[in-house]
Amino acid sequence: MILTIFTAVIVVSLIGAALAGVLVISEHYLNDYGRCRIMINDERELDIEGGRDLLSLLASEKIFIPSACGGRSTCGLCKLKVLEGAGPLLPTEEPFLDETERQSNVRLACQVKVRGDLKIEIPKELFAIREYTCKCTEITDLTYDIKLFRFELIEPKTIDYIPGQYVQLQAPAYKKSSEEVYRAYSIASDPAEKNLIDLIIRLVPGGICTTYCFEYLKVGDEVKMNGPYGEFRLSETDAPIVFIAGGSGMAPIKCMLHQMKNTQNKRKATYFFGANQPRDLFLLDLMKEFEKQLPDFHFVPVLSEPNGAGHLEYEKGLVTDAVRRNLKNATKSEAYLCGSPGMIEAAIKVLLELGMSEEKTFYDKFE
Amino acid sequence: MKESPQNKKLETMLRSSKLVAGGFMGYDTRSVSEIIDSDTNELSRFGLTSEQVAGRMQQITDTAKSGLGTWMRIDDNLQAKIDEARGFLPCPWPHSGRFVKRITILRRVNTSDTIRWSDLNIHLIDEHGFFQGKGSSFRIEPKKLIEMIF
Repeated sequence: MILTIFTAVIVVSLIGAALAGVLVISEHYLNDYGRCRIMINDERELDIEGGRDLLSLLASEKIFIPSACGGRSTCGLCKLKVLEGAGPLLPTEEPFLDETERQSNVRLACQVKVRGDLKIEIPKELFAIREYTCKCTEITDLTYDIKLFRFELIEPKTIDYIPGQYVQLQAPAYKKSSEEVYRAYSIASDPAEKNLIDLIIRLVPGGICTTYCFEYLKVGDEVKMNGPYGEFRLSETDAPIVFIAGGSGMAPIKCMLHQMKNTQNKRKATYFFGANQPRDLFLLDLMKEFEKQLPDFHFVPVLSEPNGAGHLEYEKGLVTDAVRRNLKNATKSEAYLCGSPGMIEAAIKVLLELGMSEEKTFYDKFE
Repeated sequence: MKESPQNKKLETMLRSSKLVAGGFMGYDTRSVSEIIDSDTNELSRFGLTSEQVAGRMQQITDTAKSGLGTWMRIDDNLQAKIDEARGFLPCPWPHSGRFVKRITILRRVNTSDTIRWSDLNIHLIDEHGFFQGKGSSFRIEPKKLIEMIF
């Protein structure tokens, strides 16, 4: 009796082990997608090893698609057209794609697994995006939770970008993050200094990349970034400019002001910078310099709690209140905004009330 | 009690730093279910549910939003403001749901006591009764939260 039970147990165990072995072997072969060809824009063909997501495969071929979440399907930025070979749309992609995009075969590159040959379309300007190896050369405290990080380009040694564009900074794996991530930051530097990238970064509690920058990144460290990306830029008109941005939203505006100075741009420009207290203000000396160097530029700090502002000239209240008080008629002006969606929506509402047409509002929302 | 494979997978995700620096569990060695049960018991001592707590948090966040980053009056002794950062955070539970990186900071005017939460915190409390593990960046002690917001 005992022998029979023992034999049965052995037989069942052996059958189980055999089945597990079959599964492991078949998984190995079934998941081996071999070499796959990716035809891009009917012009360029990549021959790559399949089995990974399209976003990372393209990145390994130095083709960088914008992505702020590093392939977790949370930002929805890595859109491209997959004309053949993508398989069905995944539930993780659905929230990011409208009907027109679905009809046009737009997919999220991070969610498309390369299992065979693909035919894709990528905007041509993305081919100009490169990966840069940089060295952090300076870290400056701007406020209690905002720092300016200066990076010197090592390879390639220079970068061309349009003021208003952004780069994606790579935070490598570190103590509080088990894998590398990429996060988007607007370029804040003077575009004339082609070997430097300045980023203005605010600490986000629990943020993977900002925690790395604030607690782990040191002067002398090497980092990688890629770019430039983005459509936010100054128009080539003579229309008076209204800049509205607070906190780290100053980054692209600062870059645009450098460009205006470099090109001796004569446009009238007013920059409303919203903050709570005097301690939230920064780069005031630089703004004063711009006021001297540009023919018609005014920097307007707006404080909701101005206690301790001393002799500083400021407007009181919300940034939108100050815009309303200072800009009686905005019909001929253009606005350039950078900041939270709430601030941008509120500012646009005020600008429209003041007569600005919606197509003259340009913004870089934090999303 | 033995944890189901789904719970084990969830716990691995919560302890990892895939979504937030340092993960959602901090140094807490308790399981997710133990943390949720313990915090739910704490709420019930005050006669409250996680939905009621999350509802009040959402109310405060909605009021603070109109301040565009400046302090807004909640009541005679409370002020709140919001900070926003670029990007979204997905819920670590296996369902769709992503939240803007918005942090509400609530302060008591007479003592300067502060407490903060993200939009994801509100969702985690509302839908999952999860206040996060002790030592994580956004752990909220239910007792302190209730004393501040009610």
